[in-house]
Amino acid sequence: MKFTGRFTVSPESSVFSLVMLPLLGAALVMLAKAFLKGRMAAGMQFTAMLVGLFGPWLALLYTFPLVWSGLTVEGVIGNWSGVVGITFQFDGLAWLINALGYTVAGAAWIYSLGAGPRGPVFSSVFLIQTAALAATAMTADIFNLFVCLEVLGIASYVLVASSEKNGAFLASFSYLMVSASSMVFFLAGLFGLYRLTGSLSYSGISQALLALPDQGGGLAAISLSLIIAAVAMRVAMMPLYGWLPDAHALAPHAVSAVLSGVLIKTPLFALSRIMLIVPLGAAAAQLLGYAGAATAIVAVLVALSQKDAKRLLAYHSISQIGYVVCAWGAALDLGMDTMAGQHLMTAAFLHAFYHALFKGLLFLSIGTSTDRAGSRNVYTLRGAASTLRQSGERLPITLLSFIIAALAISAIPPLNGYASKIAITYSLKGSWQYWVLSAASIGTIASFIKLSRIFWPQPARIRLMATEEPSAVFMPSVATARHSGLPAQIVPGPMTDTSAVKRANLPVGISQAMLALACVASGLAAPWLYGFVLRLLDSAASLGFTSLNPGPALYTADNLLKTLYMVLAGFVLFRLAVSALGSRLLSLVRDRHRGFHGLFLSFAVGLSVLCVWLLLV
Amino acid sequence: MLERILILLLFLIGFAGIVGMRNIIKKIFGLTIINSAVVLLFIVEGSRIGNSAPIIDAEIGLVVDPVPQALMLTAIVIGVCVTALALALAFRLYKAYGSFDIDEIHRQVHRES
Repeated sequence: MKFTGRFTVSPESSVFSLVMLPLLGAALVMLAKAFLKGRMAAGMQFTAMLVGLFGPWLALLYTFPLVWSGLTVEGVIGNWSGVVGITFQFDGLAWLINALGYTVAGAAWIYSLGAGPRGPVFSSVFLIQTAALAATAMTADIFNLFVCLEVLGIASYVLVASSEKNGAFLASFSYLMVSASSMVFFLAGLFGLYRLTGSLSYSGISQALLALPDQGGGLAAISLSLIIAAVAMRVAMMPLYGWLPDAHALAPHAVSAVLSGVLIKTPLFALSRIMLIVPLGAAAAQLLGYAGAATAIVAVLVALSQKDAKRLLAYHSISQIGYVVCAWGAALDLGMDTMAGQHLMTAAFLHAFYHALFKGLLFLSIGTSTDRAGSRNVYTLRGAASTLRQSGERLPITLLSFIIAALAISAIPPLNGYASKIAITYSLKGSWQYWVLSAASIGTIASFIKLSRIFWPQPARIRLMATEEPSAVFMPSVATARHSGLPAQIVPGPMTDTSAVKRANLPVGISQAMLALACVASGLAAPWLYGFVLRLLDSAASLGFTSLNPGPALYTADNLLKTLYMVLAGFVLFRLAVSALGSRLLSLVRDRHRGFHGLFLSFAVGLSVLCVWLLLV
Repeated sequence: MLERILILLLFLIGFAGIVGMRNIIKKIFGLTIINSAVVLLFIVEGSRIGNSAPIIDAEIGLVVDPVPQALMLTAIVIGVCVTALALALAFRLYKAYGSFDIDEIHRQVHRES
C-alpha cells in the first residue's frame, strides 16, 4: 500500500487494497503451506484469511464517505497514461458489489471452518476468487474484464471440483469447457471492438463508436453480442444456464453459497458499466431483460421437479437471477438518467443482494441438514429437524435459518425477499414481465413448501431404527437409504465422530446465525436500505433523483393481499405437483436429456438470437 | 483475405472438436485450437499497420501496433492455465470412471445420482 504524506492513504490505494488484501492473504496461505508446520501453519492460514476477507472492510469504510458524496475514484493502474494503461472506476455500484461479495464470502468462510473444505489450497483459491470479484466490480477496461472473468472462472472451477465427489469433476469440466470457450468468443468480440476503435477502455470505446459514421455498423453489433453472450453465460440466464445446476449442486456447501450468492451477479453488474455507454447497449439490455423474465419462470418450473435438495436450490438461483436480469435489463433499456431506470436498477441490485443473503443461508442450512441426515432426496428424506437435534445442536439454528431463508425467498413479509420483489414488481407494473414474475413467485412458494418437507417428522419405520441405535447418530438414515436402494449422498468419515460434529457446530451455527440476522435485519430496514442503494447508484449518475421519490410503499393492503393470494396459489400448485399426474409430469421434466453438447447448442442459439436482434435494431 | 479464411477454418475445426468429439482429451485440444485461432487473428491483424518491431526510439516510425501482442501474451498464459486445469480434471474423471468418453461418463454419473 502506498502512503502519501503522513499516514493518509490515497483513495486509489484503498480501492486497490480491496483486490490486493485477498491476494496478499492467498500468498500468505501458500507461504504457510510451504514453510511452516502444524499449529504455526494453521495459525498463519487463519490470520491470512482474516486479513484477506475482513481487512477489505476497512478499505470499504474508508472509501464510503467519498462514494456517498457522489465522487468516483477513477484512475489508471500503475500511473500509466490513460491511452495505454488499464483504467478502473470505483463508484457506488462497485462499492455495493464489494460489500455484497465480502459479506457472503466472510460468512461462507466461517461456515467452512466447521464443515469444510479446509486446507491451504482451498483457502488460497477462495481468496483469489474473492480478489477477482472485487477486481471485476471496478474494472473499466474491456481486456481487464476478460482477465478478471478468467481468474474468477479458474478459481471457481477449482472450488467446484474441491468437493472431491466424482460428479463434481464432471460438473467442473463441463463448466470449464463451456465457459472457457465462451471466453474465446469474448476475445473475438474484443478484437472487433479494438479494430473499430483502437481503444480498450469503456469510455474510449464508446467515444470512438459514437464518432464513427454508422456507430460501427454490423461489426460493432456482432462484437458486442459476442461479449455480452460470453458474460451472460457466466450469469446463467436463459438459455445459457445448463452448466449451473450441476456445478452449484455438487460444490461444497460454503462454495455453493458464494457461487450462487455472488459469482453469478458480479459479471452482470460489471457488464452494465459498458452497456450503459456504448451504442446498442440499451437494445441488448432490452433483449436480456426479456430473457431474464423467461429465465425466472422456466427455471422455477424445473426447480419444482427436482429430487436433489441442492440441485433444487441451484435451479432457484437461476430463477432468482432471472428476476434480477429482468429488472436490470429494463433499467438499462430506460437508461440510468431516468427516474424509472434508477428505481429498477436499485430494485435489481437489492434483489441480487438479498438473494445472496438468503440463498447463501439456504445452501448452508440445507447443506448442514442433508449432511447430518445422510440423504439429499427431497422425496424420501424426512425428520431432518430431529436428526439435527440428535447431532448436538441445542439451539435449532439450522432449522430456524432454513425457515427464515425459505420465507425470505418466498417473499413473505417482513423478510428481505418481500421488499425486493415488491420493488421489482412495483417498477414493472403493467408490463407482461409483471405477470411472468408473479407466476414465478407462485412457483417459488410451491417449491419451498416441497423442500420444507424434509424437516417434517419421519414416517414410523425410520424412527424405529433411529431409536434402536442412539449412539451412532448418523448411521440409521444412511442405512435406510442404502437398504431401500435410494440415491443418497453419504457423508463419509469425519462427521460420524460425535465430538468432531460438536466442534464443527460452532462455526456452522455462527455463520448461519450471521446470515439469518442479516436477512431479518435487511427485511426490517428495507425502506432505509432502498434509499441507501438508490443514493449510491444515483451518485454514480449524479442526478439527484433520490429526494424526488422515496421508492415503493411496502406494507400496503394491496401488496399484502397479493402476497396472501400468492401463498394460497403456491399451496395449490404444491398440491398439484405432488398429485399423481403432477409428479409424472415433473419427472418428465427432471429426466429430460441433458448432455454436454446441449451447453454449446444453447450458447450458439443464444448468441445468434442476440446477434440478429442487434443487427436488426 | 486468405489468412482470415484460414483462421476462420482453424476456429471452426477447433469448435467442431469441442462439440463433435466424444473423447474429452480431444475436446481440450479443440479448446486450445480455438484459442490459438483467436490469438493468430489478433497477431495477423495487429501487424497490418507498419512492419518494423515496436521499439520506439527518437522517431516514431511505421511500427507494428504493440497492444494486440501484449494482450495475446496474457491470453496465451490464461489459455495454458485453463488447458492445464482441464487436463487435470480429465485425469480425475478417467480415474473415477475409467473412460475418456463424455457420453459414457455422463451415463455413469446419472447412474450414481
